[in-house]
Amino acid sequence: MSDVTPYILERSFDAPPELVWEAWTDEKHQSRWYGPGVDTVVHKNEPVKGGQWLVEMKGDGWSAFQRADYVEVIRPLRLVFLQSMTDADWNVISNPKMPDWPRVLHTDVTFSEVEGGQTHMRLVWTPHEATDAETAFFANALEGLGRGWEGGMDILDDLLAELQA
Amino acid sequence: MELFGYDKPKDLDAIYAALADPTRRAILVRLSEGEASVGELAQPFAISQPAISKHLKVLERAGLVSRGIDRQRRPVSLNAGPLAEAVAWMTEFRQFWQGSFDQLDELLSEMQTKDSPDE
Repeated sequence: MSDVTPYILERSFDAPPELVWEAWTDEKHQSRWYGPGVDTVVHKNEPVKGGQWLVEMKGDGWSAFQRADYVEVIRPLRLVFLQSMTDADWNVISNPKMPDWPRVLHTDVTFSEVEGGQTHMRLVWTPHEATDAETAFFANALEGLGRGWEGGMDILDDLLAELQA
Repeated sequence: MELFGYDKPKDLDAIYAALADPTRRAILVRLSEGEASVGELAQPFAISQPAISKHLKVLERAGLVSRGIDRQRRPVSLNAGPLAEAVAWMTEFRQFWQGSFDQLDELLSEMQTKDSPDE
């Protein structure tokens, strides 16, 4: 086991866990929310242990493919899956832009009911069977995403805007 | 978000290693306001000029800053290009999920309106 620090994202939704679960696992809903600003096509949707989720995201003249292999499915509380980018034949590939980004991310999503019919979601990403280079890259990149960098990020956002102008 | 069609990837690993340190991040933020000498950069920190110079070497190797040729002052300036690329990637992963969850938020409120027995 690697001792890499996971990346955690937490968020609350104003809906009960059953409904959040339905939106996560029903393909007629998945294509609506998964992937911002892209046309999402679900090619396979098997939300059961050992099942696959194959999804294509279409932008302007390009497509990106992702797959998830379900490790644990406990309705409506927990979804655990291995997530990767793939080629058009669903073979796992490195991120073409970022070869040291972990090829497989272990993704653990839990939904818990909070008072008032809301759902608290917690997503935990950990590199799965990662190389040392992947582990280091993940740690460094996510260190950049989190602690102490938020203030700097605003200034860098301005810089980015300038560069793109 | 564009995942394909990129040129040869830059050495982002070196960039992230450089960004992982809070002092180096603070140096970059300071430099985003304009170039500065090592002495000027050291001033707000409780560390020596040689220590700042060490941090600058890391930043320089990552291509994030460059040093002027003025022999006396050798002003340090920010190279925004590689920084922009590194930040773009860091934010891309986060924005992908946060953008998705914003959409999920909307979808959930729609689903609830439809399910409501009062409708």
